[in-house]
Amino acid sequence: MTGAGRFQLFAALAFAVCFAGALHAAEVRAKADVTCQPTGTPLQYDCTIRLLHARTNEPLSDVALTVGANMPSMPLAHNVRPVKATVGTAPGTHEARIELEMLGDWALRLDLTGKVRDRVVKVLRFERDSVGPATAAAKPPSQHKH
Amino acid sequence: MDDYLIGVLSNIGVLSFLALSAYLLLLTGEISFGQQAFFAIGGYAAGVATALWGWSLTAALVWGAATGAAAAVLVGVPTLRLHGLYFAIATLAFAEMVRLLFELFHYQIRIAGEWVGPDGSDGFRNIRYIFENDVGPVQFLVLIYGLLAAAVAGFMLLERSHLGVSFRMIGEDEVLAEMHGVAVARYKVLAAGLAGAIAGIGGGLYAHLTTYIEPRIFDVMLGVHSLAYGLIGGLGTAFGPLLGVLIDIGVLESIRTLAGYRMIVFGGLVAVLLIFRPRGLLDEIVVHQIGRAWRRVWGWIWRSA
Repeated sequence: MTGAGRFQLFAALAFAVCFAGALHAAEVRAKADVTCQPTGTPLQYDCTIRLLHARTNEPLSDVALTVGANMPSMPLAHNVRPVKATVGTAPGTHEARIELEMLGDWALRLDLTGKVRDRVVKVLRFERDSVGPATAAAKPPSQHKH
Repeated sequence: MDDYLIGVLSNIGVLSFLALSAYLLLLTGEISFGQQAFFAIGGYAAGVATALWGWSLTAALVWGAATGAAAAVLVGVPTLRLHGLYFAIATLAFAEMVRLLFELFHYQIRIAGEWVGPDGSDGFRNIRYIFENDVGPVQFLVLIYGLLAAAVAGFMLLERSHLGVSFRMIGEDEVLAEMHGVAVARYKVLAAGLAGAIAGIGGGLYAHLTTYIEPRIFDVMLGVHSLAYGLIGGLGTAFGPLLGVLIDIGVLESIRTLAGYRMIVFGGLVAVLLIFRPRGLLDEIVVHQIGRAWRRVWGWIWRSA
């Protein structure tokens, strides 16, 4: 095989390796709206999670949800053991009670199983009396799009 | 197997790459507080490759390793003349520079109606390769430990090779090693590149395991932990840093009832351990004793047979 032939074979193999993962089957992607409220017990919060289809915005049903959390700045040192969420009354809603280790920014990890398998991460700032967007998320949306 | 246990084991596996990365530099006598930078570079690179460019996971991890190695060589060359505290500070400064650069790094493209990609301090979410390709938690765990086993096997071969001996000679005394014909500068840059590649693979696996990374994850505490793993577990063998990770995560999980005070208790335990075992649990003497005991047992079994 000539040098040019070897190069073409290598390029074809490299292309195949790189793009083999691009042949995805269609799948459902989820997004979530999360609201949390303090319960009165220190570091304990009740969260209501509304799961939606990312493209159609329809509520997702027939999914089991597990809610975990870790601190972005110290994900391995400060994390919360995942809890199973209970199904709420409104379509696509789930409820979970979480107990954190300290106040501050926490990345809630929402693991979906069942009809839809996906993960949604929401970073929220947990204060003593309120829960809101995380410190970084409070900045204006990024203008650097391609 | 419980999903939570799989998650803990996966974290142990991924962090082991970071621990091995710092350990490799410790072999050459250098303390690096910056391996989390290559972990971050590998994570972002691999995440971009799968989430934005549609690459396979294999290619993405190779890309993560390559970018980690390239960045490590870029740092390794100008810091060749630095030693000890100065090298440690230089690597820490580099790591903080990388973290701050990722706070400013925006690269997003529109995929299926959503913006996907690194978004500065808002992080890089939707690294969904394992969900899009139906890779289960156990499968990913097997991948992590398969790659880790390959890395450890590589280290065991390295320890028995001329290159490994050269690394340890450099770690003991650079001047003496140079006088024995060891190309110190070249080997130190090689060690830095290999360490960067190992950290890059770990970062790529971490990004795909968690599906979300942000600059705050890769701060100085992660670098301190990466060094601590080797110092706790021992510097006598590549299994030392792995033991360090197991102790770190295992102890943290077992004292969960202490909630926010876990890190304080853990820090105290580490301090006590290092007072009594400054070279870690599996130091060179213990490794030698274990090797001697194993050879005796093996010899007895062989003779009995």
